[in-house]
This record gives sequence, C-alpha cells and structure tokens, in this order.
Amino acid sequence: MNERYSGQGPFLEISGLKKSFGSGEAKQDVLRGMDFTVNKGEFCVLLGPSGSGKSTLLNIIGGIDTPDAGYVSIRGDKLAGMNEKALTLYRRKHLGYVFQMYNLIPNLNVKENIEVGAYLSDNPLDVNDLLHTLGLEDHKYKYPNQLSGGQQQRVSIGRAVVKNPDILMCDEPTGALDYKTSKEILGLIEDCNKKYGNTVIMVTHNEAIRHMADHVIRLRDGIVRHNDINTEKVSASELEW
Amino acid sequence: MKNPLIKRIPRELTRDWHKYLVIIVFMLLMIGVVSSMYVAHDSMMAAIEDTRSTGNLEDGRFEVNKELTDDIIEKIESGEVSKDWIAYTEALTGEDFEEIESIPVEIISHFFKNEEEDRDGDGIKDATVRVYKSDSTVDLATFNEGRAPENENEIAIDRMHADNVGLKTGDTIMLSGRQFKIVGLLSYVNYTTLHESTTDLMFDAFGFDVAMVTPEAFEKLEAPLHYNYVFMYNEKPDGNVEKADFAERFLKVLISRVAIAGLSLEDFVPEYLNQSSNFAPSDIEGDTAGAEVLIYILIAVIAFIFAITISTTIDKEASVIGTLRASGYTKGELVRHYMAMPVVVTIIGALLGNLGGYTVFKEIVVYLYYNSYSLPKYTTVWSGEAFIKTTLIPLILMLVINLFVIINKLKFSPLRFLRHDLKRTKRAKAVRLPSWSFLARFRLRVLFQNIPNYLVLIFGIVFIEIMLCFAFGFPDSLNHYAEEAPGMLFSKYQYSLTGMMDEKGKELTTATEGAEKFIATSLEQSRLSDGEAMRGASSSTEGITVYGYIKDSSYITIREALEEGNVYVSASYADKYSLKEGDKISLSEKYGSSSYTFTVAGVFNYSGSLAVFMPIENFNRIFGNKEGDFSGYFSDLEIKDISSKYIANVLTEEDVTKITNQLMHSMGGFMNIFRYALLVMSIALIYLLSKIIIEKNESPISMAKILGFKNSEISSLYMLPTAIMVFVFAILSFAVGKAIISWVFRIFMMQMDGWFTFYMSVKGMILTVLFIIIGYAVVSVTDFIRIKKIPLDEALKNIE
Repeated sequence: MNERYSGQGPFLEISGLKKSFGSGEAKQDVLRGMDFTVNKGEFCVLLGPSGSGKSTLLNIIGGIDTPDAGYVSIRGDKLAGMNEKALTLYRRKHLGYVFQMYNLIPNLNVKENIEVGAYLSDNPLDVNDLLHTLGLEDHKYKYPNQLSGGQQQRVSIGRAVVKNPDILMCDEPTGALDYKTSKEILGLIEDCNKKYGNTVIMVTHNEAIRHMADHVIRLRDGIVRHNDINTEKVSASELEW
Repeated sequence: MKNPLIKRIPRELTRDWHKYLVIIVFMLLMIGVVSSMYVAHDSMMAAIEDTRSTGNLEDGRFEVNKELTDDIIEKIESGEVSKDWIAYTEALTGEDFEEIESIPVEIISHFFKNEEEDRDGDGIKDATVRVYKSDSTVDLATFNEGRAPENENEIAIDRMHADNVGLKTGDTIMLSGRQFKIVGLLSYVNYTTLHESTTDLMFDAFGFDVAMVTPEAFEKLEAPLHYNYVFMYNEKPDGNVEKADFAERFLKVLISRVAIAGLSLEDFVPEYLNQSSNFAPSDIEGDTAGAEVLIYILIAVIAFIFAITISTTIDKEASVIGTLRASGYTKGELVRHYMAMPVVVTIIGALLGNLGGYTVFKEIVVYLYYNSYSLPKYTTVWSGEAFIKTTLIPLILMLVINLFVIINKLKFSPLRFLRHDLKRTKRAKAVRLPSWSFLARFRLRVLFQNIPNYLVLIFGIVFIEIMLCFAFGFPDSLNHYAEEAPGMLFSKYQYSLTGMMDEKGKELTTATEGAEKFIATSLEQSRLSDGEAMRGASSSTEGITVYGYIKDSSYITIREALEEGNVYVSASYADKYSLKEGDKISLSEKYGSSSYTFTVAGVFNYSGSLAVFMPIENFNRIFGNKEGDFSGYFSDLEIKDISSKYIANVLTEEDVTKITNQLMHSMGGFMNIFRYALLVMSIALIYLLSKIIIEKNESPISMAKILGFKNSEISSLYMLPTAIMVFVFAILSFAVGKAIISWVFRIFMMQMDGWFTFYMSVKGMILTVLFIIIGYAVVSVTDFIRIKKIPLDEALKNIE
C-alpha cells in the first residue's frame, strides 16, 4: 500500500477556482469561484445538474484541465506550478480514473486491462485478489466485447483501483448502467474505499448517491451551494432511486 | 512489470493478418530484390576485381597499321616524346611544345584477327569473332566451362555469346572455312561485355564473339592481322584523374613515336575508357543505385500507409488514449506503443527480405547478370552495404516518418482525447456543397474526409506509373527503334572501303545501279559540361561522323547549296545538343590537334547517328584531301564487283538493330516480370488504402445499413470516390510518369555515345493506365465483400 497522506492541513484543497470557456459574448463561466476541502479517505460526492461544472471541476482536480484562477492543492502540493511532465507523474502516482464509458482496450482481456493500471504503480494491488473482489475471476480471460456493460465498468474500476491510488476519481460511473448494476458498481467503489482507504471523489447527478457519501458538495451554476458532512451514511445496497 | 500494452502487438498482427501479410510480402519482395542486387553486385564485383588482378589486365591498348619493330617498341617503352617530332610540331605550329613527364611502359603484342563465324556451315557469316592466341600473357581468360584449346582444330569461345546463339562445348563452328570444335566457354578479363568497338552504344553478344585458338591455328586463319599492342604502365596510376593524365601523356608519346616511324595509329583505348571491360561493372553499379532510390520511395509509401493506419487507429482509440493519459501513461509510452507495429513489421519484412536476398533472389539477379555479361565465376560475399541500405535505412525511414506523424497525433491533451477533439484547427462551419443530389454530396463528403489517404494514393500511383512507363516504354522504344531502323540508313548497304585504289592503283568503282560515292571521317564533340548530364559519362567527348555527299545525292537529300563551313546536322545530333540553324559547332580530331568550326545551316531528318553533312567538294577542301577523294559507297543493291578485301565494313539494317536485339534479349523477360510485379504492387497499395477508408467508416456504414440502404448503394457511396480518384490519378500520373522517364532517359543518353529517344506506343500508354485500373478493379471486389460483412450492430457499439 502507498504511504498515505499524514501531514497537516486538508488532503485536498480547492481555493477560488474559476474556469470559463469561449470569449466575448459567447463566454461561459463554468466555475465561478469554488472553495472546499476534502479529507483523506473520505467518500466525497460532487452533486449537481447538467452544466453545473462538476465534470470540469473533476478534470481540474485530476490535472487534465487547468483553472483560469484559484488553485488545487493535494497533500500540500499545488498543481498550478506543475509542468506537463510533473502532472503526468502526479496522475500516474496518485490518481485512478473511472469514466462513464469504460474505455477498455478491446484487444486485451480482462486481466490484462487491469494490468494496464498495475503497470503504472510502484506498489500495485494483487491483480488476482482484485479480480476476486470485483467478481471477475470467471471472466478474466474474456475480451471486453464478451462482457456486459456492468462487467466492463467493473474492469474499468479494477484498472483504476489496482494502482492503489490516493484518490479515485469517478465521473458518472453509473451513468450508462441500469439500476441493479449501478448499485453493484457503487457497492464495489464503496468496498474499495473501505478496504484500500483511497479517497473517492465521485461526480454524479443522481441525488440518491449522496446518502452513501461521507461528504456531499452540491454545485449549481459554477459555485458550491451546499457543503455537507453526511452523518447518516448508508451502504450502497440500501440506496433507492 | 512489462508494459501490458505490448500484448496488443501480436494480437493486432493476427487480427488484421491479411493487411500485414500484404505489407510484409511487399517489403519482402522489395528488400529481397534490392538486397539480392547488392549481394549479387558485391559478389560479382569481387569476382571481377579478382580476375582483373589475376588475369593481367592491360592498362590500355593501341593498334597500328604495321607491326612495330623492336627499336620502336623500345622507344615507346621509354615513355619519352620523340624530340624529332617536337621539333617538327614546333616548326609547324610556331609554338613551344609543352614538355611532359616521361611515362615508361611495357609493350606486349596482342594481335588478333576478326574472323567470320559461320555456325551452320552455310558459308554465310553469322557473327564476327575476334580471335586471340592461347599463349597470350596479358588479358587472360577464365573458363566457365571446358578448357583452353590444345590443338589446331579446337577453339574456346565467349560463354555469353555461346549462350545467346545456342552453342555449347562439343559443337563445331567454321572460321575461314576451317572447322573448329568448341572445347571451352570462356570469359576474357577485358571482355566482360562483347563490345566490338569501344564507341559502340551497346554490346552485341549475338553478332560479336571473342575466342581463343592455338598459335598454330591462329597463323592459318585468313582474316587480316590487327597489330594490336597492350601497354602496362611501370608505375600504376591511382584513380581516374591520374589514369586520364597517364593516358594523355602516353598518347603524346605514342603519337610522336608512331608518326616519326611513318606509321598510322589506328586505335588507342586506355583501359579505364574501354567499354568492353568497364561497361559491366559500371552497369551493375548503376543497377544498385537505381534500386536504392526505388526501395526508399517504396518504404516511404509503406511508411505513409502505416502512418495513416495508425492515425485512424488513434482516432478510433481516442477515449482509451484519453483514459490512459489521464491515468498517468506518458506521451512517450504511447508513442512507443504505436510505433511498435511499423517497426515490428519492417523488421520481419527486412529479415525475410535479407534471407531471400542471399538465396532465391540473388540467384535470379546473378542469372540476369550472366544473361547480359561475360562474367567470371563468383562466390557469394556478405554485403554490409546491403544490410545498411535495405535494412537499417528503411527501418530509420519508417521510424522517422511514423514518429513524426504519431508525435503530432498524440500531442493533444488527455481531455481532448476523451472528448474526441483531435482536429488541429476548429472549422467554424462545414464546407458548403453545391445543391447536387444527396448521394453526390455524400460521396463528396467521403472524399473530403479521406484527403490524406488520397494524397498517399497519388504518391504511390505516380511512383507506380513512373515504373510502368519504364516497363512499357523501354521495350516500346526498342521496338520503335527497330521499326525505324531502315530509315536510319542512307541506303540498304553502306560500304566503307579500305582505300580508294586497288592493288594496281586503279580507282575502286562499281557498276551497281544506284551506287553513289561518299566520304566520311570521324571527329569529336565535347559533351555538354553543364549540370548532372556529365556525371558518369565514360569520356568527355563523343564521336561525330562527318559525311561528304555528291551533288543531287539520292541518299543524303540536302538540296541547299552549302557554302564552305556551313553544314547540316542529323536530327539526333540537333536533338541531343539542342542545335538550331545558325549555331556554331566545334569538332576536333580524335588523335590529332586540328579542330574545325562549322555553322549549322539546317537539320537533316536522319536519326541513325550523330552526324554532320556537307558537299563532298567542301569536305575534301576542309580536310586537305585531293579533289575527287571518297571513302565508300551508298547502295540499295549489294555491291558484288568490289573485292571484299577492299571493303573495311558494310553497314546494313542488321547492324543498326543489333543494339535493340541485344537489349530485348537481356531485358525483355525481365520487363515482363517487372510489369506484373507492378500490377501486384498497385493492387497492394490500393488495397491497403481503400481498406483504411472503409475501416474508418465502419460505424456510418453500419448505421446506413440500419437505415435501410442496400449494400450496393453503400458501396457506391464509399467506393465510388476512391474509384474516381484512382481513375483520375492514373491518368494524371501517367502524364507525370512519362515526362519523368523521358527526362531520365535523356539524362542517361547524354552520358552515352549516340542518341536514342524514349518512345511509347499508344497501346503502351493505355496499358500503363489500365494496369492501375485493373489493380483497383481487383481491390473493389474485396472492398465490396468487406462492406457486405460489416455487421448491423457495429453502429450501436461504443457510442459515446
């Protein structure tokens, strides 16, 4: 396991974050000054309707997009000062990504797709253990096109988690899945959070998911409307929508 | 841990095996053929070099009209210019003779006789055979088969001549009415090609032969003895510049000594300018130079095909790439990953190609060499150059081109990959199309979408067309030349006499109807000195025949009354040197110091040789002859009333066409193979590119099927733009290809003696275009099947 953050101050700090697209009359402010912090090991949900800026925020935290103003600081390191090489290294060492679409490599089998993530880590989890945790043991030699959507998303989670990242970034991970499968996937992410202690930041528009989070941040029109700590956390299996 | 992405490479190779097989076979053939050319070249050159040193090759030779006495030989060998001659020259010109450093040599007599070879015993000459004695100590022969003659009725002849005319050991031939049994097939070190004269444009292994008989048999042969002497420098020159300097100095010594002895120098050929010993090595050299360019162009075409394929794959895998980059994969790791396939395929192609190059292909090239040249036996040598040029450089070329494209393609941010936003420039709005039918506009969109593919297609088709123009045009040019041959002679028979008088001092006349006197001599023209045309030329001058014709000649039909100094030039001379009316030409004697300047008064439509024409009276005055002098007869009928001993040579249609016959024999078969290889290449190229176009559009094709379009309609949407492009490019490329080949041919001919223009028949032109279209037709069948096989659910997969 990676040496987890144990320093002073918040694990993740977002301060005065602004971002706009376009220019002139067509200029659209997507983030209009955001401030919040996330603690180590927290399950944090960024909740908001379409266009609220949640994906843009996630991309900036993940170092694949840059803010116009403000900063993101992880473990005390500000991303703004990093060049492309340092950002790549940052993502490689500390982040795991799960997207709405699974983006698996079609000509690698399940196990190999997970190994794609393991390759990046100095201290990866055991792939076979993870396959067991993900319920993919019987499918490990199958190719993505032989799997259902839910199974493919499990592989994608496996690819992100196997790195044993400090932060697991999930962008609408259940957006393309049915109710039952969505709950299974959320359960898996919950398990990983508990078992491996990764901080989870999940972007979703599904209100129900906030109930399983430690920390819920509601976004609307590019600003934080509510920043709540959930004291009545329930497990994924108990969610209803 | 190994990068798991590596596992994709073998799977990709097996998944799309037919595509990679086409590329690998393409490369195998290309690299195999070119590598074999280098291997055969290096092996053959090693064998030639070896025989040049062990075979006691001359440094040059000269021929005089009478046998040299020991005294004269000694003086020539001293390498000093005759003082008497210097005094005479200085008195004549009024200028001081520029002293030259002495050039001591060894002179060895190496007499020969030009006999008539009669293979079928019908008394008619089948070829000229130059016979040497078997006890020669210079210019030795190696035996490809059999042995040297040991008794009077035995002969060894040139191996290639024997092959060409179907002679073998054990056969008999007639020389001077005497029968000889062939006991050996040989290759003389100074006759690796059978050039009868060093000024011949092409060797003639059908009509000319070299042979060896015993000294006793030699004495009994009836043909006139040629007093040919070989010279060897005491100190060997190093490099062509020194060789030229040595030859120039020795020629002065020789001219002075021969002139003072009252003899006439008939011929002088330093070895480095001797076509018969240098044509083969320099031609073999040229083969590899051409092949080198060929392989680089083809590798570049393949590299671009790969680049387009990878570019399409990157577009398709944009989400995966975005995810990998977001997860922390570096740009370098992905560049290396996408580079792996072209590198692996190139290495496989190069390994197999090299294997073929040292085995099967080499045998073919060696066979072609033996089919053209009289070469000694060889052993295969390792060619480092072949490895560098056919393996390392193609690999580097493949790396550089793909690296450039892939780096450029992967430069976008992870976010842009995730958003499939990979266009360099954001187009504000789509190109507006005219209000044509929906299908026509659809096709136009497909065309716009695939512009990079079509650019590679143009490049490839232009390249194939250039080679097709060569493959069709070269034989066409030879055939055309052969057809035009009768028109390239002034008369059916052109007799050059040994002198004007017979033994009794009586003028040689003929009662043959239509026979007409003429006079001719040979002068030299400096080659153009500007630009590339000079590079590789065997000498800095080339021979021009100067004709004097009688008034109202029936054969040289120039009717303009020309003043002294005004001349007509032959059409080929005007073409080669870009001469027009009013231009001045300066010609000089080959072995003398006089030079002549003439004004071009017109161009005479004659392409048989580079020639100058003037009235016989002007000729005799200019060259200091007596009035009425002549040197031969033009005649449409065979002259039978002049004894053959007074006839130096007869020029007939056969002599003009011997060059084309030889070239057709040496290259005809090869050209046919070459044409079909090009057809296969055009199929492979179009196949690879059209496959990319269809693969890129699998999803829209599938969607069109879901919408209810029929396979035939979809095919017309996605295949017709390519068909139109192929057709248009084939025609345009033909024009480009023909222009380039004509230009290359012209450059090549500038370096050679004589003139020969590139010609393509209408049939040849149509076929060059048709070959590409046939190539497309074959591919379109596979394209149609491919479109038919695209499943309906393709459009429903991976929609984001």
